[in-house]
Amino acid sequence: MNLPDKSHHPLLCNQSPWNKNPNAIWLGSTLRLHRNLEKFFFPGKLPTDKRKQVISLLTNDLLANDQLKNPKLIRAEDMPPTEKEFLVEHFLSNQDFHQAYVGEAFVLDETGEFLAVLNLRDHLVLEWIDPREDLENSWDRLVKLELSLTKSANFAFLPKFGFLTSDFTQCGTGLVVTIFLHLPALLYTRCLDEIVKKNKEDGIEQTGLQGNPNEVIGDIVAFYNSCTLGVTEENIFSSLRMLATKVLVEEKGARRHLKEMSEPEVAHIKDKVSRAYAILLHSYQIEAIEALQALSLVKMGIDLGWLKGISQIPLNHLLFACRRAHLLCHYGQKISHEELPHKRAEFIHQALAGLELLI
Amino acid sequence: MFKEEIDKRFPDRPLECGECKKGLAVRYTEIVGDSVTQTSMCADCPELQRRLHGTHPKTFIANQVDASAALECGNCGTTLEEIKRGHRLGCPECYTIFEDILLVEMQAANRLPARVLSTKKSVPIHIGHSPGEKLAIHPSSRLLALNEALKDTLNREDYEQAAWLRDQIKALTENLKSEAEEK
Repeated sequence: MNLPDKSHHPLLCNQSPWNKNPNAIWLGSTLRLHRNLEKFFFPGKLPTDKRKQVISLLTNDLLANDQLKNPKLIRAEDMPPTEKEFLVEHFLSNQDFHQAYVGEAFVLDETGEFLAVLNLRDHLVLEWIDPREDLENSWDRLVKLELSLTKSANFAFLPKFGFLTSDFTQCGTGLVVTIFLHLPALLYTRCLDEIVKKNKEDGIEQTGLQGNPNEVIGDIVAFYNSCTLGVTEENIFSSLRMLATKVLVEEKGARRHLKEMSEPEVAHIKDKVSRAYAILLHSYQIEAIEALQALSLVKMGIDLGWLKGISQIPLNHLLFACRRAHLLCHYGQKISHEELPHKRAEFIHQALAGLELLI
Repeated sequence: MFKEEIDKRFPDRPLECGECKKGLAVRYTEIVGDSVTQTSMCADCPELQRRLHGTHPKTFIANQVDASAALECGNCGTTLEEIKRGHRLGCPECYTIFEDILLVEMQAANRLPARVLSTKKSVPIHIGHSPGEKLAIHPSSRLLALNEALKDTLNREDYEQAAWLRDQIKALTENLKSEAEEK
């Protein structure tokens, strides 16, 4: 990928754990840990000078932590809006990073898997993204990092409410885990709701890629824990893991069923897949959501052997790379908003060169 | 026609309530004579209540909160009214001041597990880890989930899936074993 020379944060563009992800169904997960310092107001009520104090208190240790690879502090005021939006896309966040301003900051490291958000809603949100289906390992890293921070910082904690957060519905463990699954077969055969209902435990909710439960984009469904108080971290992981594994198995089953179905029944899905192929390879301009929708069908088509010539890795990468801030960042922000849909179409044509339709 | 195209151009960002930045649920269009005003609101927007029932949001919430509305955190000045309106808390002290109300609100928002609701008050609510405590989660939770899924598929006599799950379990067990040996 060509690096834009203008960007002063190369971390944002050249490192992505998302471009080596071979999974067809389990796309990845995010782990977020919310923490606040004792004796300070929460960021919403904290004056700017105190916010700066919080940043320096927390970042000294963060930047010196040996688990992170060359971590860097980036103040929100030094960051152009596109890069904030890039963070939203890359870290699958539903927080409004683009509203971040003076007194707020981010810490990123070179792996592109770690993000610390300072003073946005809580003093500190530690986030790890994991494309490898390895929740326990990510948790291990997260808790080690938290532990090293507690040596010099005291986090606000009450025995009754656990760790205190500015949004009281996140107190307790302060941990929100989200698992992203790609479920086109279950969605097109309309089986998803029933399966989730059967297997879902209390305290797990379902949402879309951009945090709107009623809008499923690219057939990607996110499962996350809505309860953070009254549960242990282990409960959160095991119940999410259980649900995700069962849904994954059902999706595999549904895909196999599609493959075995006879011609007239499966014709309309084959039609969708081949139209998606045409849209991606032959559009002159394309919007992000339309592209994600089509990519989803092509991803499934590859898995079913209806298309060939490309693996899941570049497709999974495209799920991120075709979105607005990623594209702007890729092209060095030199393109205007009017040109963007055309550039996106071009970008996708290049990325999918070699894709062949077999049905 | 052309105008519509431009509107569609940025669908990437979620739309927000004009009042509180929550997700958008209602778009209210008011047509008076020649002027058209559009307001975007979330589902529990006080502004929505005002449009529907004609009450001012403050009075509406004051009616709901009644006598205890005067409650305020002495440390940061966050009021009960603000909390009822869905604002964030201002400081760690707020948790002590608004203790019971917070629990009621969490219960109403369906953010407390059944365990907490059914047990007695003396049982601790927070059961996660405490500051400074190291808590590793054993990778076997993944194994447990796979085994559970395997049981399901065997019950359904779906042997192809079961075979795939067995392979996964085998690979994972071997992985864990070799990791343990390395340690």
